Amino acid sequence: MDNILFFILSALAIGGALMVILARNPVYSVLFTILTFFAIGGHFLLLNAQFLFIVNIIVYAGAIMVLFLYVIMMLNLNKQSEPTQPFFIKVIAAISGGLLLITLLGALRGMDSDKVISDIPYSDIGLVKNLGKVLFTEYLIPFEISSVLFLSAMIGAVMLGKKNLKDH
Amino acid sequence: MNAIIILSSLGIIAMLAEMFSFKKSLWYLVLAGLAVVFVVNLLDWNLDTPEQQFKNMILFDNYAVAFGGLIIILVFAWFLISYNHYKDSELNVSDHFSLIIFSSVGALILVSYTHLSMLFLGVEILSIPLYILAGSMKKDLASNEASLKYFMLGAFATGILLFGITMLYGATGTFNIVEIGMYVQKSSEISILFYSGLMLVLIALAFKVSAAPFHFWTPDVYQGAPVLITAFMATIVKTAAFAAFFRLFSNSFGLIINDWNFILSIITALTIVLGNILAAYQTSVKRLLAYSGISQAGYLLMTILAVNQESSKMALLLYTASYSISTLGAFGVLYHVMKSKGSDSLDSFNSLGKTQPLLGFVMAVSMLSLAGIPPTIGFFAKFYLFSNLLSMGNTYLWLVIVAIVGSLVSVYYYFKVIIAMYAKEGAASPLMLTTFHRALLIIITGLIIIIGLAPGILVSMDNFKI
Repeated sequence: MDNILFFILSALAIGGALMVILARNPVYSVLFTILTFFAIGGHFLLLNAQFLFIVNIIVYAGAIMVLFLYVIMMLNLNKQSEPTQPFFIKVIAAISGGLLLITLLGALRGMDSDKVISDIPYSDIGLVKNLGKVLFTEYLIPFEISSVLFLSAMIGAVMLGKKNLKDH
Repeated sequence: MNAIIILSSLGIIAMLAEMFSFKKSLWYLVLAGLAVVFVVNLLDWNLDTPEQQFKNMILFDNYAVAFGGLIIILVFAWFLISYNHYKDSELNVSDHFSLIIFSSVGALILVSYTHLSMLFLGVEILSIPLYILAGSMKKDLASNEASLKYFMLGAFATGILLFGITMLYGATGTFNIVEIGMYVQKSSEISILFYSGLMLVLIALAFKVSAAPFHFWTPDVYQGAPVLITAFMATIVKTAAFAAFFRLFSNSFGLIINDWNFILSIITALTIVLGNILAAYQTSVKRLLAYSGISQAGYLLMTILAVNQESSKMALLLYTASYSISTLGAFGVLYHVMKSKGSDSLDSFNSLGKTQPLLGFVMAVSMLSLAGIPPTIGFFAKFYLFSNLLSMGNTYLWLVIVAIVGSLVSVYYYFKVIIAMYAKEGAASPLMLTTFHRALLIIITGLIIIIGLAPGILVSMDNFKI
């Protein structure tokens, strides 16, 4: 059962991701991104990480996608107005992307599946209670220090948004 | 750890300066705060058993303290150079200062992390304020372009870093860099997943230190950003990124050096060759310094090839210190020239040596130091770096030869600036230096020469073991 679900979700995720870059209309691209995020959220559920699933849906499929749609509508990009790339660039991009794909597939193929680490220290880490416990004990310092990151991002947003002193 | 806490609080205080209107005294307050941070940082020096703090997330060993001290000194010097610039400009001083301080917090994390999540956070905290600061001249197109380019490519590199970290975790089951090193030591057959992760992390870090072929963002970003921000990016960011690079590779991947040294030596040689050759074609001094930064990154990568040598840490510290001090001196002069002439082209340096003897002298000494000509600190740093690499045998003899030929090319473009200052005629500039700036430039030049003449004061101190 888990396996079937896994393959369905994987197919959805990969298909959605492909459609994001293949779709001509940017709005369709965004909608396929939502599909991809839902499929990845499904994977989180399979891994028993309900909290991550919910956060993934709320933050990515909810908030960020709405932002994307807003920007696309305001820029009026929905007329398939994207400039076409020169053929040369397309070839180079295909070659380098393909090389990366081959490398990563090779890495996967070389893996012995029985050597994969199975004893993850906390198997039900994804539950809110355990996640909170780990976040506030073992991962306390990354958790706290990330506030500096968000603070500087906020200052930056304000700084870029407001007028300079001389403009007043 | 206390240094990080105090520095973060200093950033918050700087942010609040506007609200509680002590903007006038903010500059002095920041300098005093940085002095306190420097002292607090030194308190961790030579602890018998450096405490693994917060569940093996961060470790203040001598390596971290030494590089942290260097970074705090550089930030201090940066604030001295920016004296008066933000006071009467149209920009908001408290935003700028708090972003710079937060970025320095990221730098301190990068020199002391022992956990890959801290590496990621450190890289982000270091970079995100700079994405914004690079675009702080809002009406200048080049500045906007620099910000956007830096942000896009930086975000892409971060994605690659995260992907690499994920793979390393998948292979080893741990995020701790020391435990990853133990995994390498113990396991008889290292999984291919591990190598893919290693390569992705290598690529992301090479991007952050602007090594070729991941250097394309550097010239545009360095040129577009405001000159003081460029000075910050060229010195403090590079020092922190290299310290992080070395820390990861010496702790985790030192034992399998034979698996990655070939790729890294190619990257190193390419960086040195490309950086030096492209720099020779530049007509803007700011862009020239950007390319010089790329080629110097090549020399710095040579310490990572010798990651198992005990003296490599010293070589890295010495070279980053030498490069950063010389570059700060050069940017200090460039800042004044741009202020008076409004241009960073090579022509605006014409006859600077005659009209402004002090500026000319400081620039000349900085250029000589970057080129590696005695009696400056740059010569000794290069010498120590090469001899450190050669002490491993003749494996890297070819690389040292490439590096020396690269240095010869670099003499050409560094001397272009000196020739413009002393041999070409140009209009005198209405430039008035304050006594403060004079004293500061003299101190920087003095440091470059004194450490160059007597490098022993740094290297041979008995209890200075990092």
